[in-house]
Amino acid sequence: MTNTAYVELLNLACGALLATAVLILWRRQFAAIIRWFGVQGLALASLAAILAVHGHDARLGAIAAGVFALRAVALPWLLRRALARAEAAAVQPQRETRPLVNVTASLLAAAVLTLLAYAVSQPLTALTPASPAAHAIPLGMAVVLIGFFSLVTRRRALAQVTSFLLMDNGITAVGLLTVASTSLLVELGVSLDVLLAVLVLQVLTGRLRETFGSTDLDELRELRD
Amino acid sequence: MNALGITGGVIQAVVITGGAPLLTGVMRQVRAKLEGRKGPGVGQPWRDLRKQFRKEAVAPEGTSEIFRVAPLALVATTVVTAVVVPFVTSASAVEPMADLFAVVALLAMGTATLALAAIDTGTAFGGMGASREVTILALVEPTLLVSIFALSVPAGSTNLAAIVAATLNDPGRVLSPASMLAAIALTVVTVAETGRIPVDNPATHLELTMVHEAMILEYAGPDLALIELASSMRLCVFLGLLASLFAPWGIAASPTPLALAIGTAAFAAKVVAGGAVLAAAEVFMAKIRLFRVPELLAGSFLLAVAAVASSYFLAGAS
Amino acid sequence: MSTSALGLGLAGTIALLTTLAVLVIPFRLRPTISGAGTALVGTAGLAAGAAALAGQSFTLPLPSLLPLSGLSFAVDPLSGVFIAVTGAVAVAAGIYAIGYTSHSGTSRAAAAVLPLFVASLLAVPAAASVATLLACWELMALTSLLLVLTEHKQRPEVAEAGLWYAVMTHLGLVCLLGGLMIFTAHAGGDSFAALAAAAPELSPALKGAVFVLALAGFGSKAGMVPLHAWLPRAHPEAPSHVSALMSAAMVNLGIYGIIRVGFGLLGGGSTWWWLLVIGLGAASAVYGILQAAMSTDLKRLLGYSTTENMGLILVGVGAAGLFASAHHPELAELALAAALLHVANHAGFKTLLFLAAGSVLHATGTRDLDSLGGLRSAMPATTLAFGWGGLAASALPPGTAFVSEWLLVQALIHGLHGATTATAVTLPLAVSAVALTAGLAVATFVKAFGTGFLAKPRTADAAAARESPATMLAGMGLAGAACAALALVPGALLPAIGRAVAAAGWPGPVIRYGTNGLVTIRLAGLAGEVSPLLLTLGLVIVMVATAAWLRALPARRAQGARRRARLWDCGGGPLTARMEYTATSFAEPLQRVFDDVVAPETRLDVTHLDEARYLVAAIEYRAQVPDRIERRLYQPILSAVAAWGSAARWLAPGSVHRYLGYGFYTVTAVLIILTVTR
Repeated sequence: MTNTAYVELLNLACGALLATAVLILWRRQFAAIIRWFGVQGLALASLAAILAVHGHDARLGAIAAGVFALRAVALPWLLRRALARAEAAAVQPQRETRPLVNVTASLLAAAVLTLLAYAVSQPLTALTPASPAAHAIPLGMAVVLIGFFSLVTRRRALAQVTSFLLMDNGITAVGLLTVASTSLLVELGVSLDVLLAVLVLQVLTGRLRETFGSTDLDELRELRD
Repeated sequence: MNALGITGGVIQAVVITGGAPLLTGVMRQVRAKLEGRKGPGVGQPWRDLRKQFRKEAVAPEGTSEIFRVAPLALVATTVVTAVVVPFVTSASAVEPMADLFAVVALLAMGTATLALAAIDTGTAFGGMGASREVTILALVEPTLLVSIFALSVPAGSTNLAAIVAATLNDPGRVLSPASMLAAIALTVVTVAETGRIPVDNPATHLELTMVHEAMILEYAGPDLALIELASSMRLCVFLGLLASLFAPWGIAASPTPLALAIGTAAFAAKVVAGGAVLAAAEVFMAKIRLFRVPELLAGSFLLAVAAVASSYFLAGAS
Repeated sequence: MSTSALGLGLAGTIALLTTLAVLVIPFRLRPTISGAGTALVGTAGLAAGAAALAGQSFTLPLPSLLPLSGLSFAVDPLSGVFIAVTGAVAVAAGIYAIGYTSHSGTSRAAAAVLPLFVASLLAVPAAASVATLLACWELMALTSLLLVLTEHKQRPEVAEAGLWYAVMTHLGLVCLLGGLMIFTAHAGGDSFAALAAAAPELSPALKGAVFVLALAGFGSKAGMVPLHAWLPRAHPEAPSHVSALMSAAMVNLGIYGIIRVGFGLLGGGSTWWWLLVIGLGAASAVYGILQAAMSTDLKRLLGYSTTENMGLILVGVGAAGLFASAHHPELAELALAAALLHVANHAGFKTLLFLAAGSVLHATGTRDLDSLGGLRSAMPATTLAFGWGGLAASALPPGTAFVSEWLLVQALIHGLHGATTATAVTLPLAVSAVALTAGLAVATFVKAFGTGFLAKPRTADAAAARESPATMLAGMGLAGAACAALALVPGALLPAIGRAVAAAGWPGPVIRYGTNGLVTIRLAGLAGEVSPLLLTLGLVIVMVATAAWLRALPARRAQGARRRARLWDCGGGPLTARMEYTATSFAEPLQRVFDDVVAPETRLDVTHLDEARYLVAAIEYRAQVPDRIERRLYQPILSAVAAWGSAARWLAPGSVHRYLGYGFYTVTAVLIILTVTR
């Protein structure tokens, strides 16, 4: 792969990551959110594949395949299934999120967080100024912060799960961009972690629905004595 | 193991086994005379032993082998101690066994076996005697070991032969503060371990006052004879230890018949004198309450610690 | 590959295979496979430890096994002692567990985890880096917790005991983590070699902090006062083979840690460290045996006795450090050798005692000494086992603990020459603490053996006891044989212990023990010798001779068998079991003497008749000896923590968004500050 092609493809993949994150923050319907999440997984997998091809690293290629399988295929499928079950069980199917902060304010906050991410990532980029991957780190950081913000401001449990996964995508991206050679074991561990978290949160969501009839987290306040 | 030690061991075994009842007889006679009685005579304990050995052996209901083995264990520990400790000669019959800690632990083992036998009878007296006896045993241990510590500092070892030799080489050391304090502490220990007044009354059978007697209440015949013999021998051994540690003059240093005869006579004289003093003191003292005994033993512990401290802190004392 | 590496590898493999096997095989075979597997793991460990003691060390780094730091193992003679002891205990406990768990039942998880527990016990002394040590330590804690909770369905107290154990062991882990992380941070590498190389450059304050934290963590595991509260709670509630493993193998690893960190890694240190160790050791010894003397629960008594013995071992370790920092290497080596020998001896007799107690529990269903008694006729083998164990534990000749306590006292006594004032004050106090402990131990085990096994049974449960099955007796027999060997010929083990002492870390000549060290133990360079074998021989000869002479008496020959006689009952009718002394009454004089320390609680409830207030309908009297340190030290801390928790509830209004918001705002604020202040 020529150097310019590599740089172009890398920036494209990272740009796609950030764009899908903003779209997830913007859209209100669950089905759309899950679709954009799948696209983001594809972007992440292609990022890993680009790095693998450029660095001639077979292990990174295996990681790329794993990321694709998990974040572009398995997790969206699980989320869609959970959505379908929620729609089947609920009296009033809720298709939309109802965030605490309205969409305009959320997008403005996302812009501020992206700027913050650029500011914070300066030392990391300064470590290897010649590498194009290092210049793309702020994008990954921005995805993490946007994910965190989304986690804080979402009411519905399913939206929160998606935000958590968004954050994790961002962390994986930063990890791929910064580390020279990742250990397979670490990736495996992290992936298993994520899978487990999703499964647990699914169960939790189901229980919430049974108890309260909805998955509005504000209703959890009633549990405090 | 040399010739001196072996001859000493044999002589000691014979003299202590044969002479211990005589020591008891002397002590009772001294008490009787001081109390204005005629007394049974010095040979009465021997006559009692002979009578008991002729009686039939009994096994009380519900007791097990521990009850039958305890008198044998008591006699064994006392005889082994009598053989290895250097009383008559300055060398021990079996050097590795003549360690002061080992001897003390051996004597404690005999007491513990007797306490177990007392519990084995299943009577309230047995349990009571055993419970009181192990309490006193537990409280005597610190004084005993710290006194041994104090004695071992000048000799550089806890081996009895070494301590005796060190005292023979430097007789003035006996008058040092460390030595005097240790002597008083060990005297209290002797009284406690052998069950004499003021810790225990060896002639009482009142529930309130028995310690040793309660443990042997169920014994009769040859078993009782063995236990009485072992008790007398224990007293003999303790008095002999006091003599060897603090007044070892007259001890035989060579295996000639004259030296051995002098050594034996010196040992017998010192032990009888010590016993007479003890008996005389008993006439003027009463037995103290069981729960005052810890105070007495704590006092002796304090003296022992003072002995160790003085052997370190006072210049020229170690 | 050296034998020790082979043995440890084999042990690990067998443990994993047994765990997997137990998870799949049917219920009926589970106890046998689990117990036999554990015994095999123990045998492999024993072989590995023996090889290491014989001088075969090995080092095995495995950098790829754990991310970031890798695992690395190294075995030298010091670890060999602990590995060998654990292996031996596991053999006896494993064989015993076959019979015990087939009769009392066990869950699949507990049976599966037993060999893993033993494997983690073998791995901890073999660890050569901080990460490995902590990983194996945590594995040991988790597996032992699972094992303690085996019987939680049958009894509710088990859950509480498990909770105490879990909390305290993890608090200990936190202390360990803190101390070792400080050390590693300043050393720039987490292998023990790197730590030892970096130690001379550290400041004394830092080294002191590391040592105190390590002492807290390892001491808590060893049952050191005041961090001992889990021991008398967890050991009675665990099944007996697990109690034996915990008391005889796991607590030793606390001692191993202190020796390794104190001597090997930190290179000895200031005098005040070792005075602290001696002080805590002496306090543990006296407090432990005092509580044991008051206890009427058989296994709780044995648990407190473990605290006592660990206290004695800590006195030895502390004395070794004290003498090393005062530049008396031969005394330091003697003290450490005494401590290591006592580790081995304690493992032997504590295993025997716990296995025998388990046998009693299995036969009668109760651990309460006030309800037992008269087991001698129905359970002769168990009685013999407990009696031998009790003799061994009370430091009387010909028992097992006599030689190691003799060595310890010799080390303390010879230290007075040329000592500093602090040492000269500490040594007599240490000797008196050891002496008081020895005396109280005699009282405790006379009580336990006498009231529990002799005389008449006090309840129907005790009267209905039957002897235990053959595998349980075999386990006890192995432990008893080991005790006997250690009691009569401890000289066989001393050269190996000398190598272990040399491996502990300070420079100096190795002790050369006397050439006939098998029969007589001679101290090199100091005057002192003792021979337990000759003592025992002398006793036996005299006893046999006296018995023969008695038999030969003419009166006895004419009589034949002994006549059965009535016990003296003051003429008041046949004696009942109710008139025997109970364990509580036996300990009552001691309790009165130590009233201020022990602080027993009594409660008297008098119920009057409704109609007439002067007449009494019922009286209930309850007496209890609580753990005073728990009352005075732990309760206030727990109340303070609970008060903090209640006060902090205003931070938690119940809104999930608020909680997430805390995290988000904090992270963002930190990032902004980082950006601004760079």
